[in-house]
Amino acid sequence: MKQSSLSSKFSGVSIKVINSLLPVLLAFFIGGIIIAAIGENPLSAYGTMIGKQLFTAKGLGNTLHYASPLILTGLAIAITFKANIYNMGVEGQMLLGAFFSGIVGSSLSTGNAIVDKLMCFAVGAICGMLFALIPALLKAFFHVDEMVVTLTFNYAMAKVLEYLASGPFRDAGAGYVCTPAIANSATFSRLGKSRLTLFFFIALAIFLVMWFVMKRTKLGYQVTAIGKNAEFAEATGMRVRCKIIILMLISGALAGIAGSGYMMSEQFRYTLDFSGSPGLGWDGMLIALLGRHSPVGILVASLFYSVLKTGADTINTYTSVPKEIVAVIQSLMILFLAVQFLNERFGLIERFKKLRAEKKEA
Amino acid sequence: MDFINNLLYNSVYNAAPILLCVLGGIFAYKANVLNIALEGLMLAGAFVSMLVAYLTHNLFLGILSAIVVCLLLGLVFSVMSVTYKGNVIVVGLAINMLVPAVADFVLKLMKSSNINLTWANVNDFKINIPFIEDIPILGSILSGHPPITYIAFLMIIVMAVLMYRTKFGVYVRVVGENDDAARSLGLKSNQYKYIAILIGAFCCALAGINLSMERLAVFTNDMTAGRGFIAIAAIYCGRGAPGPSAVYAIAFGVASALATQLTVSAGSAAALLDVIPYVIMGVVLTVVSITKRRKVKVRGF
Repeated sequence: MKQSSLSSKFSGVSIKVINSLLPVLLAFFIGGIIIAAIGENPLSAYGTMIGKQLFTAKGLGNTLHYASPLILTGLAIAITFKANIYNMGVEGQMLLGAFFSGIVGSSLSTGNAIVDKLMCFAVGAICGMLFALIPALLKAFFHVDEMVVTLTFNYAMAKVLEYLASGPFRDAGAGYVCTPAIANSATFSRLGKSRLTLFFFIALAIFLVMWFVMKRTKLGYQVTAIGKNAEFAEATGMRVRCKIIILMLISGALAGIAGSGYMMSEQFRYTLDFSGSPGLGWDGMLIALLGRHSPVGILVASLFYSVLKTGADTINTYTSVPKEIVAVIQSLMILFLAVQFLNERFGLIERFKKLRAEKKEA
Repeated sequence: MDFINNLLYNSVYNAAPILLCVLGGIFAYKANVLNIALEGLMLAGAFVSMLVAYLTHNLFLGILSAIVVCLLLGLVFSVMSVTYKGNVIVVGLAINMLVPAVADFVLKLMKSSNINLTWANVNDFKINIPFIEDIPILGSILSGHPPITYIAFLMIIVMAVLMYRTKFGVYVRVVGENDDAARSLGLKSNQYKYIAILIGAFCCALAGINLSMERLAVFTNDMTAGRGFIAIAAIYCGRGAPGPSAVYAIAFGVASALATQLTVSAGSAAALLDVIPYVIMGVVLTVVSITKRRKVKVRGF
């Protein structure tokens, strides 16, 4: 009796943590084998990669800086995934938001620092919401599979933006395809030596709001309920159709804000590899999976992921390991995260007991 | 005239890899495991075939190892998504990210941005059919393509027969329609899902080899350029039926041929033609959903 209550406690939080940690360790392990295969010491390589980002003031600042858009894209994905609605279009929504906040920041600048930034954020959020609205309406009214639509529309959006950046909105003075740089008044200036800007604190504030929404409000409860069983939620009187649209709009807005924040604090102009490879939206998916869709988990995961991302450059400079190893580790993590190693409902100990019992019977 | 001839030739040329991906993907679609990993598998085929051919100076070995690696990746996909019931989309995306990451890593180690088979002559791969190649319009459609392009078009018939005229095809469709019913009849549903995914992996390997080795004898890491997703759009438009899906695949091939052809005259705006497949997919999905839902009379969502 005592044992079972203990194990049920164990199965709650810690199984979730183990389920997130195991894929990470596995991915690092395979990455370590690859590093060893090219003749480097994996432990010291990982050491330089992670140590520099966490234990120096500048490194820590950079880590926080790169975590800021990731917190937002992670939340954008988590809030829909939690309701069993799959907005895979965060990357496209983020890019669209970034692109037009870049255009507004460069051409419609008023010169006032606060007005400009608010304007850019608003444009980013609206663009993200508009692009998310298409699959949301299709899903809510016609039951069109939102997963496929959002996923493939990312590629359509990338093409459209490529055209806009190389055609109508191209910066004629630059030697490569990009839009004009945003005005000084629309850029976030660095605080101290690292790349850290005010944007991190804005992201943190949005995180707190989202934490409150997901954990303490009616909407947050409804998200969980719809995720568990949409038909039952409808039967108990939640208007699922309306909630789907609201969730997708929130998700799109978060993605758009992430894009315009990244534009104003890091990139300053839209280029064809604006969000890097594999892109902030895809990173956000990894983070949402790693954080198991819980807000606090996402915060921790995005900090961890930012360490990896900034660590890629360190590993390139201080060791002979190419920084592409980080992308390999990241994709392995996603691969392993797709599978739940331990069942959250039944717990580890019960599982072993069951196995044992089955063996005895046999 | 030159314009039309080029366009027709390029349409066939561009349609082939999309067509192969589509034909590979329809079985997974019908078995109800959406194979998002088409793009990654195709890139794996392109990369491995070129890497092995580059290292061993043997084209056949390259082709063989590309097929083996793609089947292995397909197996990883099946184990993760079918046996361990992972989220299919997430597993597929992971493979889509893993392959370019590994390719990037290997290219960095080789200190090169592409793999180039300087000793291979691409023109040797082309099959010129005598007499037909001299007929003005038909010639550019039917003649002068590499072998896998022909295989791709023959595959339409093979896959249609496999899906509608064999026991295997029927079983795959049953598994996709209703997993529990299939199991109650004693079908090993997981086994059919595995095979459906592996057929896709094989076809994607061919598509990749077609892209890199046969056409250009060059591999660059962005050469698949979203073709796998265009293929997914085609599969959804054709609802997984070999004939209609293939028609959409060819139509999207024509669109991308037009896009490259018009870049010279219309500039960057021609790239917008690449958006067409996705828009069509959105419209088709909506129309299908509306007609399907019309008979359903349930209150609320």
